[in-house]
Amino acid sequence: MADWDELAEALADYTISCNSNERLRKMQRDWSRTLHFACSDNETTFSMEVDRGEILSTPEGLLGIPDIVVRTHSETFCDMFWGDLNPVQKYLRGEITVQGSQEDVMRLDVISSVIWPDA
Amino acid sequence: MAAAEGAPPAAVALRRSVGLATATATSAGLAFAAIDYLGVVSVMAYAPGATAALAILIGGVLVLLVAGIFSELNGLYPTAAGIRLYLARAVGYRTALSVTFTYMTTVVLVIAADAFLIGAAVRHILHQPSALAYVWIVVLLGLALTANLRGVRLAGWVQTLVTYTVLSGTAVLSVLALFHVGGAFHRPFDLFGKGSFSGIQALAFALFLYAAFEWVTTTAEEARTPRVITGALFIAPFLIWIVASLFALALAHLLPFSALHHSAYPQLLLGKAALGTVGELWMLALTVLTALNTFNGGFLVASRFIYAAAREGSLPRQFAMLNLNAVPWLAVVTLACVSAVVAAVVFATGEWLLLVAVGAAIEAGIYALGSLSLLILRRRETRERPFRLVAGRPLAAFGVVLFTALFLATGFSDPKDASHFSVAPIAVIAVLGALSTGYVLVFVPRLQAAAAARAAANRPRRRPQRPPAGVTEPAAGMGTPSVDA
Repeated sequence: MADWDELAEALADYTISCNSNERLRKMQRDWSRTLHFACSDNETTFSMEVDRGEILSTPEGLLGIPDIVVRTHSETFCDMFWGDLNPVQKYLRGEITVQGSQEDVMRLDVISSVIWPDA
Repeated sequence: MAAAEGAPPAAVALRRSVGLATATATSAGLAFAAIDYLGVVSVMAYAPGATAALAILIGGVLVLLVAGIFSELNGLYPTAAGIRLYLARAVGYRTALSVTFTYMTTVVLVIAADAFLIGAAVRHILHQPSALAYVWIVVLLGLALTANLRGVRLAGWVQTLVTYTVLSGTAVLSVLALFHVGGAFHRPFDLFGKGSFSGIQALAFALFLYAAFEWVTTTAEEARTPRVITGALFIAPFLIWIVASLFALALAHLLPFSALHHSAYPQLLLGKAALGTVGELWMLALTVLTALNTFNGGFLVASRFIYAAAREGSLPRQFAMLNLNAVPWLAVVTLACVSAVVAAVVFATGEWLLLVAVGAAIEAGIYALGSLSLLILRRRETRERPFRLVAGRPLAAFGVVLFTALFLATGFSDPKDASHFSVAPIAVIAVLGALSTGYVLVFVPRLQAAAAARAAANRPRRRPQRPPAGVTEPAAGMGTPSVDA
């Protein structure tokens, strides 16, 4: 089970990888969303604010009204944000659950797909 | 993963979510394509005249059983993966993947069929030589391809408006045809045409009119509440029943079956017979509008499925390549090319009714597998769900038997002659199924092994190693600081 410190560390790396990728930023230029994440094993929650493809913040807690809500185990979140697992495989097996439009779910995966194409 | 797989979490209010009217329009819009006009004629081949409306009614009642089964499955797994996840949990990953690949081919068939039918209708109205129909097909597919590659998507409200316009426009013209042209209800028994009634095949083709209504379950993740999808699954068939029944009655009233059976645009013939050129243009406009739903919905559903399968490692990873609009371009281009080839084959052979038979059989097969999934998951999944089908086990068992029978009845029907049997539809399905299964058994394991080897060779694990429990963590040096710190 991963705690908030581990998640924050993973999120920080994810944010840098995402924001520094010019191709990804161009792809996501029309994507501004608020995301909520909820760990199903330890009740940790955190948010992500994305503005035109740039991740602005990843604070602890659920802030604002979400466009997407993602739920899974804290370990899965950590591995996902470090790029050590393929989120689509987990999602298609029902191990990651999502609330939100299909387009937004795909845009979220696009981030992992572009910054870690071999994951 | 127990918690993530446990009871579905309470729905959270999203900034943008789908309500009942939109979900119902999505369900009805996915089901009601241009090919449905031909579907009604296919029902009439086995249920002459007004008895077609009876077959459509009974088909609608059977579809309510499907709605109940898919509502419960959707309540258990509210995910865009839909039938694939239900089957994977019930009968295993490989079977689910094989079936889903076969199922997705129906999307290509419907896109190709609609491109052909709309092209034929436009050519007919413009009085152009028949060869020009294929030019219209290519133009339509080219427009759909360009719009998809540029990331253009119909807004939800446009899709809703289009669906309700097509449904109400078809219903209104049919009512006008019935009441104002020749007074159909002065001699209602004349509506019952002459010919042999073949119940099971009529039912199977009637079922096709509702086909794909259950795809609304793939929008479960954006529904305001799980009950929205359940509501849509029960209301959409009711709308389709009304429209298809009125259309069948109007056809029976105004046109001899011999004029319909070999026509690719029976809706235009009805429009012309009811209101002359105005009616013909009216039905042409509605036919073109159906293309918006088919091409927008069909391309999106199929290309995103291909993308997800490629990302998962079930298709070559090139299919997950994205353009600068975040669109899986190779998936979209492949889809358009395959649709163009299938449409060309249909155009050259004139076998569009075979597509109806194949689509109807595959859909009946999917309903049988959905019923089987519920039967198995009733035993395995004891947790609460937002919707529970009353007498679920006996009804699911009944569904397996009934829809399997309908699958076989349609699979062996002769689309061109109701009094004959043909192996053509079942042969097409067998080839598609064999290709899918062979691919899943032979190529998918290789793709997945290659992806795993590539990942291991190119990319060591990035996540820092945690110290064992009880060991004090070093103060610094583990990765980058939080951006929020």
